[in-house]
Order: sequence, then C-alpha cells, then structure tokens
Amino acid sequence: MDFLDELKELGVDTDKALKSLAGKTSLYEKLVKKFPGMVNDYPVSPDFSDDEINDVIEKTHALKGVAGNLAITPLYNGYSDIVQFLREGKPEQAKEALKSLLPVQEDIVNCIERH
Amino acid sequence: MDNRGTVLIVDDVEINRLILKEMFDESYNIIEASGGAEAVSIINNNKNVSAVLLDLLMPDVNGIDVLKTMNKNGKIKNIPVFLITAADDQEILLEAFGLGAVDVIMKPFIAQFLKCRIGNIIELYKYRRKLESVVKEQTKRLNELMHSTVEVLATAIEFRDCESGEHVKRICVLTEELMTEVSNMYPEYYLPPEEIDKIVASAVLHDVGKIAIPDSILNKPGRLTKEEFEIMKQHTVKGCELLSSIPAIMDQEVYSYGYDICRHHHERWDGKGYPDGLAGDEISIWAQVVAVADVYDALTSPRVYKAAFSSEKAKDMIFGGECGTFNPKIMKAFANIMERH
Repeated sequence: MDFLDELKELGVDTDKALKSLAGKTSLYEKLVKKFPGMVNDYPVSPDFSDDEINDVIEKTHALKGVAGNLAITPLYNGYSDIVQFLREGKPEQAKEALKSLLPVQEDIVNCIERH
Repeated sequence: MDNRGTVLIVDDVEINRLILKEMFDESYNIIEASGGAEAVSIINNNKNVSAVLLDLLMPDVNGIDVLKTMNKNGKIKNIPVFLITAADDQEILLEAFGLGAVDVIMKPFIAQFLKCRIGNIIELYKYRRKLESVVKEQTKRLNELMHSTVEVLATAIEFRDCESGEHVKRICVLTEELMTEVSNMYPEYYLPPEEIDKIVASAVLHDVGKIAIPDSILNKPGRLTKEEFEIMKQHTVKGCELLSSIPAIMDQEVYSYGYDICRHHHERWDGKGYPDGLAGDEISIWAQVVAVADVYDALTSPRVYKAAFSSEKAKDMIFGGECGTFNPKIMKAFANIMERH
C-alpha cells in the first residue's frame, strides 16, 4: 500500500496536511518522517510523578503542536486532551488517556519507519 | 543575503521550523532559532529582520522572555512579532499582546492564511519605516532651514552693528561652554545636552532687537547720552516684539528660549539690570549665562566706541563688578572655563 494511504488508514488526515503544504507530497513525506525522531526526543510515559507534571505538559504540548501541523489527527486530539487534563489538575485522567494513546502513536511511528 | 526581507523563525521543535520555513522560503530570507536565547542574539545582531515568528512555550528562555527583551532594547517598535502557539491560555496571550506582539498564529498552521497575514504586516511595517524616514528627513531639513533663518536674522543685525558676524558665533561657543559647566556643577541648574543645544541655538537671537535702534545711536563712536541709552535699552523689548511677530520661523522651544534670552540678557543678579529689573533666580539660568557670555565678548572685541580689552582685563572687570553683578555660581563656572583657556 502507498505510504500516504497507510497513514490515512491510521487516521492521519493527509489531504488536509497536503492542502496546508500547497500539495507538496515529497515535502510532507520528508516532514512526517521526522516525527518518530521527535517522539524519541520528547518521551512521555503514563507513570509520571507529580514532580514531573510540568515536564510532561511541555512535551505533550510540543507533540500536540507537531501532530496538528502534520494532520496526525488521532495524536493531535489525544495530546490535546492530555494537555487539557494536566492543566486542569487531573493527572490520573491524563495518565489513562496517555495509556490509550501510546499504542496508536506506536502504530503510526511504525508505519512511518517502515517507509 | 539579498534585499528581500528576513523572517526569523523561533521554535524549539525542528519540524515546526521546517514547515514555516517552507511557507516563507520563496518570498523571504529565513533564519532559524531553536530557542529564545539564540533568537535574542540574532535580533540584536541582525539589522535585516523583518518579522519574528515566535513560539511561546519553549524551555529555558521562552517567547514571553524574548518579547520582554525586545521591549527593553526597543526592537519591538520596528519588528513585528507573531506568536506561534497551540496553547489557548488567554492570560499568556494577553501578556504577549501587552508586550507588543502583533498577532497570534494558532497551530496547526494554515499556510495560505499565514502567508497573507504575515506578508501584509511586514509590508505595513516597511511602509511605516519608509514614512518615518521621510518625516525624519523633512524634519531635519526644516530644522536646518529654521536655524539658517534665525542665524541670518541674527547676523544681519551684527553687520548693521558694524560687527563681522563673528560675535554671534563666539556668543554661541561661550554660551555652550558656560551652560554645560553650570549644568555639571550645580544640580539645581542641570539641563540635558539637548536642551543646552536649543539654548545655544536661541542665544544667537539675543541682540535681534537692535534692528529697531537708529544707526546714530547703535553706531555712535562716543558715550551714549542718558536719553540715547534709554533708547538703546529698548533693544531687549523690541527684540521680543520682533520674535512675537514671526514665531512660525522657529520651533516652539527655540522661540521660548530666544524670547526669554532676548528680553533678559541685560538683567543683573542684584536687580539693577533692564528691562524688567528681575533679580536672582527670577532671571532664567540661560539668560544669566548668555548675559555673561555677551559681556565677556563685548569687552574683548573692538567696538566703535572702544578698543578690545585683553582677556585678563575683561575677567578683572567682570569679577570686579564693573559690568554689573552676576550669579556667584555662574562666576565660579566662568572662572573654571577661563582657567582652562
């Protein structure tokens, strides 16, 4: 299957992403292939402590922004919820949301890395 | 680097910088910064930055810190800053707007909107800078014209007074020196350098009223009679009348200083001067300073009714009270200047 079609299957809104990049498919592919590296640079785990909340907010906020720009919609929505929970002082709900989101992220990252 | 504008992209996430770079690469030179400290350094050292796309939330030096620095160094007045954020924290956004940010770009970006919004603002700032430069140049030319007009007026009366025109120049030099000395020595008389410049520019007008004095008195070789001296004294008041009739040729401050100096440069500290008999600090410090400069130059220059005195003799006459009483503080400042000469 084509790379972008595979991403679309995983919920990535590639049409929207391409539209925002003036239809430049190769550019989008170049950018999206940098996403796994970013996930490595901004590691987040559901077992964070209270002391780490600010750090987690920073990382999830950054991941949310990039996911939005690349139209990786499931991750954008998921990280938006997590940031919101953390800012509202609901770390337990954030942890639950993160637990659900990480496998989705893993699938997307694996797909990107395969290509 | 060509003559296109330069856009500085500040974001700690490389992918975001690449996306923005791609959007603006065609129309602008792009500089990237991965953090606030690097951004501040680029803004301070690069005169060609046309706009800053600034991520708000960054580790260490964040977007708000960058804006604060740009406020401190004045860069915010000339460089439009666009906030890039996925956050909708209204307090932070309001703080950023309060610090001079011009617009907010919410992530995810929509390229076409972004290009239009940022392009429009960059053009507006460019246009504003051009207008400011034109206004500055015209103001400079207007000021030069005003100063020339004032100098022509002052020099014309010097020639009529059988002087070479050099008296006016010497008065300006001595006024500047003495005013600066007084200002530095006495906090109560302190004036910033730009005000002293205006006083010096105004000092040329001190004798402009002599234009209304008949030649027979103005250029009389011998001592003036009491009646003639009364007419001569009117040059202070006549000068003010003249300035009042042409206030538009000079700016308001030069006019105000000029008017005051013209009227009061023959007042004396003990109240025995003219035309108003002011005493002590009723006389403005600039009129007092011009009075000393005027007397010293009159004594050391040849006139139709006398030869030039030596500098030593002139000093003795001034300190000895032969030319009226002056402010003791100005006398100390004057003594300092004379010692340096």
